[in-house]
Amino acid sequence: MKIEKEPITGNYGKFEIDGVKHRIYWEEAGEGIPLVCLHTAGSDGRQYRALLNDKRILKKYRVIVFDMPWHGKSSPPENSQVGHYKLSTESYISQIMSFIDGLELVKPVVMGCSIGGRIILHLAINFPEKFKALIGLQSAGHLDPYYDISWLHRQDVHGGEVCGGIAYGLMAPTSPENDKFETMWHYMQGGPGIFKGDLFFYKFDGNIGTEIKKIDNSKCPIFLLTGEYDYSATPEETRSLADTIGIEMVKMKNVGHFPMSENPEDFLKYLHPVLEKIN
Amino acid sequence: MFKSLIEKNERRSQLSIMAQYLNTCFMISTVDDEYLISIEKGNVTNVEEGPFVMPSYIFKLTASKNEWLKFLQSTPQPGSHDIIAMLRRKVLKFEGDLHPLMSHLLYFKLLLASLRPTESNNEN
Repeated sequence: MKIEKEPITGNYGKFEIDGVKHRIYWEEAGEGIPLVCLHTAGSDGRQYRALLNDKRILKKYRVIVFDMPWHGKSSPPENSQVGHYKLSTESYISQIMSFIDGLELVKPVVMGCSIGGRIILHLAINFPEKFKALIGLQSAGHLDPYYDISWLHRQDVHGGEVCGGIAYGLMAPTSPENDKFETMWHYMQGGPGIFKGDLFFYKFDGNIGTEIKKIDNSKCPIFLLTGEYDYSATPEETRSLADTIGIEMVKMKNVGHFPMSENPEDFLKYLHPVLEKIN
Repeated sequence: MFKSLIEKNERRSQLSIMAQYLNTCFMISTVDDEYLISIEKGNVTNVEEGPFVMPSYIFKLTASKNEWLKFLQSTPQPGSHDIIAMLRRKVLKFEGDLHPLMSHLLYFKLLLASLRPTESNNEN
């Protein structure tokens, strides 16, 4: 059988983030408005495989997905050691802005999920003029810990097994089994302590309190979409966030914490109107 | 409510592979009722229904009967579809030595979910 080639191009590139050399992997497809997509904690850019293959989006958008340092096919930075990874708000912002500057993208749309859905709020507060629009998937202003995340990195527990087990439950029981399995598999492939290190941002450092009120939707349009089965960033929390900003939110049916990866078909029905509105 | 965990081990052979080195005993409580479940090499070998005088177990999962019933729906509602989701809503409590549970988290999630009615479950 002849191989059905996908329209995705994979790239490696070297650039500095906060003065430290990094080797980063990214994938892209399509032409038009740059749409930079941010994956969830402990996973990688493969979560956006359906978006990178969606002909309707690729006609108008240049979809670009990078693996964060330590994730997927991106390397750890120079002089790294196992067990010391902790994502901070500052370093997360730096890697996104360095990547955008490095590719010389002008006024991109940035869409992030989970930790990505949180960081777009920080981008909206700090650099609204830099973006054409920001899209938050599974966005919440803050998250109080509800389970002991030390289980995610212990030498007496297989990290891939436990991270996969956590990710599995965050998906909707109605999502297609093959997409759920692939989404979980990405988590099973993460490096030791990386998911936990990302959650330092998600549950502690990146929490936003009253600063949410600084977000001005007139400077940069913000769109928030959240899956109904997400118990990490619940639709109620996204709604509270949207109310504070003064915008609407979309509650997505039959979807959990990883809409673009666990149920791409249903997710794209919600995303298309948003991208058409931005365009 | 959980007695049927003893049944259909052969149907869960794929699941047993995920816990082939696991030997443990845990308790599920519905507050009113208690079930002591033994696992050997990933297979459920015994389910004993209480009341117990001096039960011995490694860890315990406690939720009300109503919450367990919601979890066991064929398509559970958001917040009832996963044991960590129930933990988040503070309707389920984990107690004891959680190492067997957390080191086999997906196995335990799928083991409990195997009690949900499905077409194949209904056939038997």
